Amino acid sequence: MQIEQFIEQVEDALYGVDAGTISRETDFTSLKEWDSLALLTLTDTIDMEYGVLMKKGEIESCATVMNLFEKIQSKQVS
Amino acid sequence: MPTNSFTDITVSASVTVVPEHIHSIDQDIDLYGGNLRQIERLKKTIGFDQRRIAPKEVTALDLCHQASERLLSNLNLSAEALDGIIFVTQTPDHSQPSNASLLHGLLGCQKSCAALDIGLGCSGFVYGLWLAFSLINNGSSDKILVLTGDTLSRMVNPQDKATASLFGDGGSATLVQKQAGAGVSWFQLGSDGTGAEALKVPAGGARIPISQATAKASTDTEGNIRTQEDLFMDGASVFNFSIEVVPEAIKALLKVADLPLESLDYLVLHQANTYMVQNIGKRLGIDPARLPIRSFGAFGNLSSASIPGALAYELADELTDKKTSKPQKLIFSGFGVGLSWGSCLLPLEPLKCLEWLEYKQ
Repeated sequence: MQIEQFIEQVEDALYGVDAGTISRETDFTSLKEWDSLALLTLTDTIDMEYGVLMKKGEIESCATVMNLFEKIQSKQVS
Repeated sequence: MPTNSFTDITVSASVTVVPEHIHSIDQDIDLYGGNLRQIERLKKTIGFDQRRIAPKEVTALDLCHQASERLLSNLNLSAEALDGIIFVTQTPDHSQPSNASLLHGLLGCQKSCAALDIGLGCSGFVYGLWLAFSLINNGSSDKILVLTGDTLSRMVNPQDKATASLFGDGGSATLVQKQAGAGVSWFQLGSDGTGAEALKVPAGGARIPISQATAKASTDTEGNIRTQEDLFMDGASVFNFSIEVVPEAIKALLKVADLPLESLDYLVLHQANTYMVQNIGKRLGIDPARLPIRSFGAFGNLSSASIPGALAYELADELTDKKTSKPQKLIFSGFGVGLSWGSCLLPLEPLKCLEWLEYKQ
Protein backbone atom coordinates (compact mmCIF):
# COMPACT_ATOMS: atom_id res chain seq x y z
CA MET A 1 0.00 0.00 0.00
CA GLN A 2 1.10 3.54 -0.81
CA ILE A 3 0.93 6.39 1.69
CA GLU A 4 0.03 8.92 -1.03
CA GLN A 5 -2.99 6.91 -2.04
CA PHE A 6 -3.95 6.35 1.58
CA ILE A 7 -3.86 10.11 2.25
CA GLU A 8 -6.32 10.60 -0.60
CA GLN A 9 -8.60 7.96 0.90
CA VAL A 10 -8.52 9.69 4.28
CA GLU A 11 -9.33 12.95 2.51
CA ASP A 12 -12.32 11.31 0.80
CA ALA A 13 -13.67 10.08 4.15
CA LEU A 14 -13.42 13.59 5.62
CA TYR A 15 -16.24 15.08 3.60
CA GLY A 16 -15.74 18.75 2.79
CA VAL A 17 -12.11 18.96 3.86
CA ASP A 18 -10.02 21.17 1.55
CA ALA A 19 -7.75 19.28 -0.84
CA GLY A 20 -4.17 19.24 0.40
CA THR A 21 -5.14 19.63 4.07
CA ILE A 22 -4.15 16.08 4.92
CA SER A 23 -0.53 15.02 5.26
CA ARG A 24 1.31 12.16 7.00
CA GLU A 25 1.48 14.19 10.20
CA THR A 26 -2.14 15.34 10.30
CA ASP A 27 -4.00 14.61 13.54
CA PHE A 28 -7.07 13.73 11.50
CA THR A 29 -9.45 13.08 14.40
CA SER A 30 -9.04 16.65 15.64
CA LEU A 31 -10.19 18.15 12.33
CA LYS A 32 -13.62 19.76 12.39
CA GLU A 33 -14.72 17.45 9.54
CA TRP A 34 -14.05 14.34 11.68
CA ASP A 35 -17.30 12.79 12.89
CA SER A 36 -19.04 9.43 13.21
CA LEU A 37 -19.83 9.34 9.50
CA ALA A 38 -16.20 9.99 8.61
CA LEU A 39 -15.25 7.13 10.95
CA LEU A 40 -17.73 4.84 9.28
CA THR A 41 -16.57 5.59 5.74
CA LEU A 42 -12.90 5.33 6.72
CA THR A 43 -13.48 1.98 8.48
CA ASP A 44 -15.19 0.74 5.38
CA THR A 45 -12.48 2.00 3.01
CA ILE A 46 -9.73 0.36 5.07
CA ASP A 47 -11.63 -2.93 5.11
CA MET A 48 -12.46 -2.87 1.41
CA GLU A 49 -9.07 -1.65 0.16
CA TYR A 50 -6.68 -3.31 2.60
CA GLY A 51 -8.68 -6.21 4.03
CA VAL A 52 -8.34 -4.99 7.61
CA LEU A 53 -11.43 -4.46 9.74
CA MET A 54 -10.42 -1.99 12.45
CA LYS A 55 -12.08 -2.53 15.82
CA LYS A 56 -14.00 0.12 17.67
CA GLY A 57 -11.64 2.81 18.97
CA GLU A 58 -8.61 1.67 16.98
CA ILE A 59 -8.79 4.33 14.29
CA GLU A 60 -9.44 7.12 16.80
CA SER A 61 -6.45 6.00 18.90
CA CYS A 62 -4.03 6.86 16.07
CA ALA A 63 -2.44 10.28 16.54
CA THR A 64 -1.62 10.88 12.88
CA VAL A 65 -2.42 9.58 9.41
CA MET A 66 1.00 7.90 9.36
CA ASN A 67 0.27 6.09 12.64
CA LEU A 68 -2.95 4.76 11.17
CA PHE A 69 -1.17 3.73 7.99
CA GLU A 70 1.41 1.80 10.00
CA LYS A 71 -1.22 0.16 12.13
CA ILE A 72 -3.03 -1.12 9.04
CA GLN A 73 0.25 -2.42 7.63
CA SER A 74 1.08 -4.27 10.85
CA LYS A 75 -2.35 -5.89 10.83
CA GLN A 76 -1.97 -6.93 7.21
CA VAL A 77 1.21 -8.82 8.10
CA SER A 78 -0.15 -10.57 11.18
CA MET B 1 -28.04 -22.88 14.14
CA PRO B 2 -27.25 -25.28 11.32
CA THR B 3 -28.68 -24.43 7.93
CA ASN B 4 -31.99 -26.18 7.40
CA SER B 5 -34.26 -26.72 4.44
CA PHE B 6 -37.95 -27.19 3.71
CA THR B 7 -39.95 -28.41 0.73
CA ASP B 8 -43.61 -28.02 -0.26
CA ILE B 9 -43.93 -24.73 1.66
CA THR B 10 -43.97 -21.25 0.16
CA VAL B 11 -44.57 -17.54 0.65
CA SER B 12 -47.66 -16.74 -1.40
CA ALA B 13 -48.58 -13.10 -0.72
CA SER B 14 -47.44 -9.98 1.12
CA VAL B 15 -48.89 -6.54 1.84
CA THR B 16 -47.10 -3.64 3.53
CA VAL B 17 -48.87 -0.64 5.02
CA VAL B 18 -47.08 2.63 5.80
CA PRO B 19 -48.46 5.82 7.35
CA GLU B 20 -49.52 8.60 5.01
CA HIS B 21 -47.33 11.26 6.59
CA ILE B 22 -43.99 11.84 4.87
CA HIS B 23 -41.14 13.46 6.77
CA SER B 24 -38.14 14.66 4.76
CA ILE B 25 -34.54 14.87 6.00
CA ASP B 26 -34.65 18.51 4.85
CA GLN B 27 -36.99 19.17 7.77
CA ASP B 28 -34.30 17.98 10.19
CA ILE B 29 -32.07 20.96 9.40
CA ASP B 30 -32.06 22.20 13.03
CA LEU B 31 -30.79 18.82 14.25
CA TYR B 32 -27.73 19.37 12.06
CA GLY B 33 -27.15 22.91 13.32
CA GLY B 34 -28.56 24.54 10.19
CA ASN B 35 -25.79 22.91 8.15
CA LEU B 36 -27.25 22.34 4.68
CA ARG B 37 -24.02 20.80 3.50
CA GLN B 38 -24.30 18.09 6.16
CA ILE B 39 -27.83 17.28 4.99
CA GLU B 40 -26.55 16.96 1.42
CA ARG B 41 -23.76 14.70 2.62
CA LEU B 42 -26.19 12.45 4.50
CA LYS B 43 -28.44 12.22 1.46
CA LYS B 44 -25.53 11.35 -0.77
CA THR B 45 -23.64 8.92 1.45
CA ILE B 46 -26.31 7.25 3.60
CA GLY B 47 -29.31 7.70 1.30
CA PHE B 48 -31.50 9.66 3.74
CA ASP B 49 -34.48 11.22 2.01
CA GLN B 50 -38.06 10.56 3.11
CA ARG B 51 -39.49 8.50 5.91
CA ARG B 52 -43.02 7.55 6.92
CA ILE B 53 -44.20 8.64 10.33
CA ALA B 54 -47.28 7.26 12.09
CA PRO B 55 -49.54 9.60 14.03
CA LYS B 56 -49.32 9.12 17.83
CA GLU B 57 -52.50 7.06 18.06
CA VAL B 58 -51.48 4.57 15.36
CA THR B 59 -49.40 1.54 16.38
CA ALA B 60 -47.65 -1.32 14.61
CA LEU B 61 -50.71 -3.42 15.42
CA ASP B 62 -52.93 -1.00 13.48
CA LEU B 63 -50.61 -0.99 10.47
CA CYS B 64 -50.32 -4.79 10.46
CA HIS B 65 -54.06 -5.20 11.01
CA GLN B 66 -54.79 -3.16 7.92
CA ALA B 67 -52.17 -5.10 5.95
CA SER B 68 -53.76 -8.39 7.10
CA GLU B 69 -57.30 -7.36 6.13
CA ARG B 70 -56.08 -6.25 2.73
CA LEU B 71 -54.12 -9.45 2.15
CA LEU B 72 -57.04 -11.69 3.16
CA SER B 73 -59.45 -9.73 1.00
CA ASN B 74 -57.10 -9.78 -2.02
CA LEU B 75 -56.80 -13.54 -1.71
CA ASN B 76 -60.49 -13.96 -0.94
CA LEU B 77 -59.38 -15.89 2.12
CA SER B 78 -61.21 -16.10 5.46
CA ALA B 79 -59.27 -15.43 8.68
CA GLU B 80 -60.70 -18.76 9.82
CA ALA B 81 -58.37 -20.48 7.38
CA LEU B 82 -55.31 -19.37 9.39
CA ASP B 83 -53.61 -21.92 11.65
CA GLY B 84 -51.16 -19.49 13.17
CA ILE B 85 -50.32 -15.83 13.68
CA ILE B 86 -46.71 -14.84 14.26
CA PHE B 87 -46.24 -11.17 15.07
CA VAL B 88 -42.68 -9.83 14.97
CA THR B 89 -42.38 -6.51 16.79
CA GLN B 90 -40.35 -4.52 19.30
CA THR B 91 -43.13 -1.99 19.76
CA PRO B 92 -46.19 -4.01 20.83
CA ASP B 93 -49.33 -2.25 22.07
CA HIS B 94 -48.86 -3.68 25.57
CA SER B 95 -46.33 -5.75 27.47
CA GLN B 96 -49.25 -8.18 27.86
CA PRO B 97 -51.14 -9.54 25.96
CA SER B 98 -49.19 -10.04 22.75
CA ASN B 99 -49.94 -8.20 19.52
CA ALA B 100 -50.61 -11.60 17.93
CA SER B 101 -53.41 -12.30 20.45
CA LEU B 102 -54.95 -8.90 19.79
CA LEU B 103 -54.78 -9.40 16.03
CA HIS B 104 -56.27 -12.88 16.43
CA GLY B 105 -59.32 -11.25 17.99
CA LEU B 106 -59.49 -8.39 15.49
CA LEU B 107 -59.38 -10.71 12.50
CA GLY B 108 -61.77 -13.27 13.99
CA CYS B 109 -59.51 -16.30 13.74
CA GLN B 110 -60.52 -19.74 14.95
CA LYS B 111 -59.75 -20.80 18.50
CA SER B 112 -57.49 -23.51 17.12
CA CYS B 113 -55.24 -20.81 15.59
CA ALA B 114 -52.02 -20.29 17.58
CA ALA B 115 -50.91 -16.69 18.16
CA LEU B 116 -47.55 -15.51 19.45
CA ASP B 117 -45.12 -12.60 19.23
CA ILE B 118 -41.42 -12.63 18.41
CA GLY B 119 -39.39 -9.84 20.02
CA LEU B 120 -36.99 -9.06 17.19
CA GLY B 121 -36.29 -6.07 14.96
CA CYS B 122 -34.41 -5.87 11.68
CA SER B 123 -33.66 -9.60 11.45
CA GLY B 124 -37.23 -10.50 12.41
CA PHE B 125 -38.85 -11.03 9.02
CA VAL B 126 -36.59 -14.00 8.29
CA TYR B 127 -37.06 -15.39 11.81
CA GLY B 128 -40.83 -15.09 11.42
CA LEU B 129 -40.75 -16.89 8.06
CA TRP B 130 -38.50 -19.59 9.49
CA LEU B 131 -40.88 -20.27 12.38
CA ALA B 132 -43.86 -20.34 10.01
CA PHE B 133 -42.07 -22.79 7.70
CA SER B 134 -41.15 -24.91 10.74
CA LEU B 135 -44.73 -25.04 12.04
CA ILE B 136 -46.06 -26.02 8.64
CA ASN B 137 -43.28 -28.55 8.24
CA ASN B 138 -44.11 -30.24 11.56
CA GLY B 139 -47.59 -30.99 10.29
CA SER B 140 -49.50 -28.71 12.66
CA SER B 141 -50.40 -26.00 10.18
CA ASP B 142 -51.29 -25.24 6.57
CA LYS B 143 -51.43 -21.45 6.56
CA ILE B 144 -49.61 -19.01 8.81
CA LEU B 145 -49.76 -15.24 8.74
CA VAL B 146 -46.47 -13.52 9.59
CA LEU B 147 -46.73 -9.90 10.68
CA THR B 148 -43.74 -7.62 10.94
CA GLY B 149 -44.04 -4.06 12.11
CA ASP B 150 -42.71 -1.33 14.34
CA THR B 151 -43.17 2.32 15.13
CA LEU B 152 -39.50 3.01 15.80
CA SER B 153 -39.83 6.70 14.89
CA ARG B 154 -41.34 7.11 18.35
CA MET B 155 -38.54 5.22 20.12
CA VAL B 156 -35.82 7.63 19.05
CA ASN B 157 -34.95 10.97 20.56
CA PRO B 158 -35.38 13.74 17.96
CA GLN B 159 -32.10 15.22 19.18
CA ASP B 160 -30.04 12.06 18.71
CA LYS B 161 -28.31 12.27 15.33
CA ALA B 162 -27.39 8.57 15.45
CA THR B 163 -31.03 7.51 15.14
CA ALA B 164 -33.39 10.47 14.66
CA SER B 165 -33.39 10.55 10.86
CA LEU B 166 -33.10 6.82 10.31
CA PHE B 167 -36.34 5.05 11.11
CA GLY B 168 -39.75 5.06 9.50
CA ASP B 169 -42.92 3.29 10.65
CA GLY B 170 -44.56 0.43 8.83
CA GLY B 171 -46.26 -2.93 9.10
CA SER B 172 -46.57 -5.91 6.82
CA ALA B 173 -48.56 -9.13 6.56
CA THR B 174 -47.10 -12.11 4.70
CA LEU B 175 -48.79 -15.44 4.10
CA VAL B 176 -46.80 -18.65 4.36
CA GLN B 177 -48.56 -21.80 3.24
CA LYS B 178 -48.28 -25.44 2.36
CA GLN B 179 -47.86 -25.82 -1.39
CA ALA B 180 -47.26 -29.17 -3.05
CA GLY B 181 -44.41 -28.86 -5.53
CA ALA B 182 -42.82 -25.79 -3.94
CA GLY B 183 -39.05 -26.24 -4.29
CA VAL B 184 -36.39 -26.32 -1.60
CA SER B 185 -36.10 -23.31 0.74
CA TRP B 186 -33.01 -22.84 2.88
CA PHE B 187 -32.73 -20.94 6.15
CA GLN B 188 -29.82 -19.94 8.33
CA LEU B 189 -30.15 -17.95 11.54
CA GLY B 190 -27.59 -16.59 13.97
CA SER B 191 -27.22 -14.55 17.15
CA ASP B 192 -24.47 -12.83 19.11
CA GLY B 193 -25.77 -11.79 22.48
CA THR B 194 -22.39 -10.34 23.45
CA GLY B 195 -23.25 -7.46 21.11
CA ALA B 196 -26.58 -6.74 22.78
CA GLU B 197 -25.50 -3.31 24.03
CA ALA B 198 -25.07 -1.95 20.49
CA LEU B 199 -28.82 -1.47 19.98
CA LYS B 200 -30.83 -1.03 23.13
CA VAL B 201 -33.72 0.71 24.83
CA PRO B 202 -32.41 0.59 28.41
CA ALA B 203 -35.58 1.45 30.34
CA GLY B 204 -39.21 0.43 30.14
CA GLY B 205 -38.85 -3.30 30.73
CA ALA B 206 -38.74 -5.25 33.99
CA ARG B 207 -35.04 -4.50 34.61
CA ILE B 208 -35.39 -0.73 34.62
CA PRO B 209 -39.04 0.35 34.81
CA ILE B 210 -39.80 3.85 33.58
CA SER B 211 -39.52 6.54 36.23
CA GLN B 212 -38.74 10.24 36.50
CA ALA B 213 -35.05 9.33 36.40
CA THR B 214 -35.33 7.33 33.16
CA ALA B 215 -37.14 10.23 31.47
CA LYS B 216 -34.25 12.59 32.18
CA ALA B 217 -32.30 13.54 29.07
CA SER B 218 -28.52 13.50 28.98
CA THR B 219 -25.99 14.52 26.36
CA ASP B 220 -23.27 12.18 25.10
CA THR B 221 -19.75 13.05 23.95
CA GLU B 222 -20.94 13.69 20.39
CA GLY B 223 -23.62 16.11 21.59
CA ASN B 224 -26.53 13.70 21.04
CA ILE B 225 -29.37 13.93 23.52
CA ARG B 226 -31.47 11.00 24.70
CA THR B 227 -33.14 9.47 27.75
CA GLN B 228 -32.97 5.87 29.00
CA GLU B 229 -36.36 5.31 27.42
CA ASP B 230 -35.04 6.12 23.95
CA LEU B 231 -33.41 3.75 21.52
CA PHE B 232 -29.62 3.88 21.70
CA MET B 233 -27.58 2.79 18.70
CA ASP B 234 -23.82 2.42 18.51
CA GLY B 235 -23.73 2.95 14.75
CA ALA B 236 -20.08 2.02 14.27
CA SER B 237 -20.47 -1.31 16.07
CA VAL B 238 -23.65 -2.15 14.19
CA PHE B 239 -21.98 -1.30 10.90
CA ASN B 240 -18.94 -3.43 11.66
CA PHE B 241 -21.13 -6.32 12.77
CA SER B 242 -23.18 -6.13 9.59
CA ILE B 243 -20.28 -6.09 7.16
CA GLU B 244 -18.55 -8.91 9.04
CA VAL B 245 -21.52 -11.23 9.37
CA VAL B 246 -23.97 -10.66 6.53
CA PRO B 247 -21.85 -11.25 3.40
CA GLU B 248 -20.42 -14.42 4.94
CA ALA B 249 -23.87 -15.68 5.93
CA ILE B 250 -25.16 -15.17 2.39
CA LYS B 251 -22.14 -16.91 0.88
CA ALA B 252 -22.64 -19.84 3.26
CA LEU B 253 -26.31 -20.11 2.31
CA LEU B 254 -25.52 -20.13 -1.41
CA LYS B 255 -22.86 -22.76 -0.83
CA VAL B 256 -25.08 -25.16 1.06
CA ALA B 257 -27.82 -24.71 -1.54
CA ASP B 258 -25.16 -25.26 -4.22
CA LEU B 259 -26.27 -22.17 -6.11
CA PRO B 260 -23.95 -19.65 -7.76
CA LEU B 261 -24.60 -15.99 -6.96
CA GLU B 262 -25.25 -15.34 -10.66
CA SER B 263 -28.31 -17.56 -10.71
CA LEU B 264 -30.00 -15.54 -7.97
CA ASP B 265 -32.80 -13.31 -9.29
CA TYR B 266 -32.87 -10.89 -6.32
CA LEU B 267 -31.03 -10.32 -3.07
CA VAL B 268 -33.36 -8.45 -0.74
CA LEU B 269 -31.43 -7.14 2.25
CA HIS B 270 -32.87 -5.46 5.30
CA GLN B 271 -33.05 -1.83 4.15
CA ALA B 272 -30.95 -0.50 7.03
CA ASN B 273 -29.88 2.42 4.84
CA THR B 274 -28.75 2.80 1.24
CA TYR B 275 -25.06 2.83 2.15
CA MET B 276 -25.28 -0.46 4.04
CA VAL B 277 -27.24 -2.23 1.31
CA GLN B 278 -24.88 -0.99 -1.39
CA ASN B 279 -21.88 -1.94 0.69
CA ILE B 280 -22.98 -5.52 1.36
CA GLY B 281 -23.94 -5.86 -2.31
CA LYS B 282 -20.49 -4.68 -3.35
CA ARG B 283 -18.78 -7.12 -1.00
CA LEU B 284 -20.72 -9.98 -2.55
CA GLY B 285 -20.16 -8.69 -6.08
CA ILE B 286 -23.84 -8.83 -6.99
CA ASP B 287 -25.26 -7.10 -10.07
CA PRO B 288 -26.89 -3.89 -8.73
CA ALA B 289 -29.99 -4.63 -10.87
CA ARG B 290 -30.65 -7.60 -8.57
CA LEU B 291 -30.34 -5.60 -5.35
CA PRO B 292 -33.45 -3.63 -4.33
CA ILE B 293 -32.30 -0.42 -2.68
CA ARG B 294 -34.82 2.36 -3.26
CA SER B 295 -37.35 1.81 -0.49
CA PHE B 296 -35.09 3.22 2.26
CA GLY B 297 -35.28 6.68 0.69
CA ALA B 298 -39.06 6.43 0.45
CA PHE B 299 -39.99 4.82 3.78
CA GLY B 300 -36.94 5.04 6.07
CA ASN B 301 -35.61 1.98 7.90
CA LEU B 302 -38.77 -0.01 8.66
CA SER B 303 -37.16 -2.49 11.06
CA SER B 304 -38.63 -5.98 10.50
CA ALA B 305 -41.02 -4.65 7.83
CA SER B 306 -38.20 -3.40 5.61
CA ILE B 307 -37.78 -6.60 3.54
CA PRO B 308 -41.49 -7.02 2.70
CA GLY B 309 -41.58 -3.23 2.21
CA ALA B 310 -38.73 -3.43 -0.30
CA LEU B 311 -40.39 -6.36 -2.09
CA ALA B 312 -43.64 -4.44 -2.48
CA TYR B 313 -42.00 -1.12 -3.35
CA GLU B 314 -39.61 -2.41 -6.00
CA LEU B 315 -40.61 -5.88 -7.13
CA ALA B 316 -44.42 -5.80 -7.13
CA ASP B 317 -44.54 -6.52 -10.87
CA GLU B 318 -41.42 -8.68 -11.10
CA LEU B 319 -42.66 -11.18 -8.51
CA THR B 320 -46.29 -11.41 -9.59
CA ASP B 321 -47.92 -12.55 -12.81
CA LYS B 322 -47.77 -8.95 -14.10
CA LYS B 323 -44.23 -9.64 -15.29
CA THR B 324 -43.36 -13.25 -14.69
CA SER B 325 -44.74 -16.73 -14.93
CA LYS B 326 -41.70 -18.64 -13.76
CA PRO B 327 -40.30 -19.14 -10.28
CA GLN B 328 -37.74 -16.58 -9.08
CA LYS B 329 -34.86 -17.36 -6.73
CA LEU B 330 -34.58 -14.85 -3.92
CA ILE B 331 -32.47 -14.40 -0.83
CA PHE B 332 -33.81 -12.37 2.08
CA SER B 333 -31.33 -11.30 4.73
CA GLY B 334 -32.09 -9.38 7.90
CA PHE B 335 -29.68 -8.24 10.62
CA GLY B 336 -29.83 -6.04 13.68
CA VAL B 337 -30.91 -5.88 17.32
CA GLY B 338 -29.87 -8.85 19.45
CA LEU B 339 -27.49 -8.87 17.79
CA SER B 340 -29.13 -11.29 15.42
CA TRP B 341 -29.25 -12.16 11.76
CA GLY B 342 -31.11 -14.49 9.47
CA SER B 343 -31.03 -15.32 5.78
CA CYS B 344 -33.18 -17.50 3.60
CA LEU B 345 -33.12 -18.65 0.01
CA LEU B 346 -36.57 -19.18 -1.47
CA PRO B 347 -37.76 -20.34 -4.87
CA LEU B 348 -40.85 -18.15 -5.28
CA GLU B 349 -43.66 -18.92 -7.71
CA PRO B 350 -45.37 -15.70 -8.86
CA LEU B 351 -47.02 -14.26 -5.73
CA LYS B 352 -50.80 -13.98 -5.59
CA CYS B 353 -50.51 -10.45 -4.29
CA LEU B 354 -47.65 -8.10 -3.50
CA GLU B 355 -48.37 -4.46 -2.78
CA TRP B 356 -47.85 -1.54 -0.44
CA LEU B 357 -50.42 1.06 0.51
CA GLU B 358 -50.98 3.94 2.88
CA TYR B 359 -52.77 3.53 6.18
CA LYS B 360 -56.36 4.79 6.22
CA GLN B 361 -58.00 5.57 9.54
